[in-house]
Amino acid sequence: MIFHSIRWRLQLWHGLILLSVLVGFGFTAYRLQYANELHRVDQDLQQRLGPVLEALRRPPTGDRGGPGGPGGPDGPRGGPNGAGGPRRPGGPRPIEGGPDDRGRRGPPPREAGGEFRAPREFRLGPNRAGLFEGDSNPFYYIVWLRDGSELSRSASAASDVSRPDPISRQVPAVRLRGTNREFYQFTPPGECILVGRSIGPELASLRRLALVLSALGSIVMVLGLAGGWWLATRAIRPIGDISAAAATIAGGNLSHRINTENTDNELGELATVLNSTFARLEGAFARQQQFTADASHELRTPIAVILSQTQATLARERNSAEYRETLEACQRAAQRMRRLTESLLALARLDAGQESLKRERIDLSQTVRESLELLRPLAEDRHIRIHSELATTECLGDSERLAQVISNLLSNAILHNTSDGEVRVVTRRENDSALLVVADTGPGIPAEDLPRIFERFYRADKSRTGATGGTGLGLAICKAIVAAHGGSIDVACPASGGATFTVRLPSGLR
Amino acid sequence: MRILIIEDEPDLLRSLTMALRDEGYAVDTAANGEDGLFSAESIAYDVILLDVMLPKLDGWGVLQRLRKIRKTPVLMLTARDTSRDRVRGLDSGADDYLVKPFDLPELLARLRALIRRTSGQTTTQIKIGEVTLDTAARSVTRAGVPVELTAREYGLLEYLMLHRGQVVTRTALYEHLFDEDDSTLSNLLDVHVSNMRKKLGHDFITTRRGHGYCIEG
Repeated sequence: MIFHSIRWRLQLWHGLILLSVLVGFGFTAYRLQYANELHRVDQDLQQRLGPVLEALRRPPTGDRGGPGGPGGPDGPRGGPNGAGGPRRPGGPRPIEGGPDDRGRRGPPPREAGGEFRAPREFRLGPNRAGLFEGDSNPFYYIVWLRDGSELSRSASAASDVSRPDPISRQVPAVRLRGTNREFYQFTPPGECILVGRSIGPELASLRRLALVLSALGSIVMVLGLAGGWWLATRAIRPIGDISAAAATIAGGNLSHRINTENTDNELGELATVLNSTFARLEGAFARQQQFTADASHELRTPIAVILSQTQATLARERNSAEYRETLEACQRAAQRMRRLTESLLALARLDAGQESLKRERIDLSQTVRESLELLRPLAEDRHIRIHSELATTECLGDSERLAQVISNLLSNAILHNTSDGEVRVVTRRENDSALLVVADTGPGIPAEDLPRIFERFYRADKSRTGATGGTGLGLAICKAIVAAHGGSIDVACPASGGATFTVRLPSGLR
Repeated sequence: MRILIIEDEPDLLRSLTMALRDEGYAVDTAANGEDGLFSAESIAYDVILLDVMLPKLDGWGVLQRLRKIRKTPVLMLTARDTSRDRVRGLDSGADDYLVKPFDLPELLARLRALIRRTSGQTTTQIKIGEVTLDTAARSVTRAGVPVELTAREYGLLEYLMLHRGQVVTRTALYEHLFDEDDSTLSNLLDVHVSNMRKKLGHDFITTRRGHGYCIEG
């Protein structure tokens, strides 16, 4: 399982890439060095191929008399002192070629055409002899006659060197025989010259190079893997922190946050996004808790009233006026509970989307008129003048639910008004929307309460709890109903005073 | 015993007042936090019944500010019942905590317990000489024979017995036995004392002229 972790995968890929780079680099370096060494050897070989070829081409000094004749007279002269003879005097002498060597060779009759001398004997120029001498790894040459018999060879030449297969072109060719590098060329008449050298030292140095490269590569590999591990750990640590923080939050500590300092990278962004998500979650959770607490408070208070009223009254005999007062209190409490439970149920249905809204064509102004009719006594009671501008405003909607919104807003406007105040209600079309405006001339709503007045159980006027009969859910229900219609509800408190509620409903009519 | 009820729900306030007056307590009321705090600061109540959700100044605020001045026992009433709320209530200096809706008998028992604790009493019975007073049953016996007392007389006796051995001033008695609604004349206290002496023995309550009354422990 652990090998499935991101760190291990990173490490694996990192290792593979590093390995292939190192192998590629090492191999290339080795090949280049190999080619380089071989090239040097080839250059040396080619340098030596020329003189040997020249030696075949030009007759040696003192052999002028018999062009084309057999090299008999030359043989005894050069042969005996092949190795130790004086070189300074300068006569070209056959080097490295023992007399018996040549003696054994059957003299193949060769008609030397052109400038190639008869290949009876072979001598290198005196200053060329050193080219094929040396202590450790000398160059060697071998000359074969046309019929395959050997004409001459240097002392350094190994005995197992075979004559290369003839090639038609008279250009230098190269071959690798074991660890020997050999250049050879055929003359136009057919003689074959081979110059070679063992490349053992070069191969040894290449082996050392390979060893050094592998050692360096291994070190780099280890360092790279260690660095990669460190980097991966560093890169992954924030992820660990994030998941630890998320686990803490999931464990119930909703106020916990991921530490986002020093993370101005992608993970920091992720942490920030997660933090804001957690904040929203916490907010929603807190609102839910607040709602539950508020709802239980609102439900418990009337129960407390009924319980304490009846228990206090029944504790002893009372007169009928006291009984009556108790019953009235119980009735008020029961009515309050009824309003509350109905509101809560309505909200719950709207929340769950179970409240199937009718979609019928209605005239908003007509719904407003009906609501106004019902609320007129309340308005008169409080000396509130109602000023209405009701243009026919059609929309698709549930008239019963919208009437609830309208009467909620209107009764709020009447109740939260100054005595002798005014309520203005407007319906009209605006673009594609049906517009309902309810404005009052009351004290308005404090700015700090404005954003929250549509929240459940939120009361801008804290002193109006309980006794006033409001459930604290009216505006929340309005908002839920309007939202279910796909509309919006807003509130504004103009400087001139009062509060203005604006409901926009999509007219749904094309 | 004089009790202050701070509660904004009028119907609840009425029933609590009714029940507590029936029990012989002197009861003052306040319908919001500010009025309640004012009363609580100015009078040494024996117990305060404090609702949490109050207009103007909530129960926490009242409690916090009251605790800077007085150690009056406070029983908090609230419709919030999470343990966090209860812990917060007790930690803020409330002496007891009762969740709405509550049973009146339980509320009354908790009130008695609070009063008892405040006066250093551990049981419901106080025995001085041959007179025994039971705060739970609100009954008094003398040598095992029940003694009939009016609610006011009982309240007076209870207060004096809870403060046995101390001289209780007339002012203190007025403050703890009569609420703002009482239009009692000052000499009525003397009438109650004289009536009780007839029932419990002439020397049971002694008068310290110029100071007040005392029941010797």
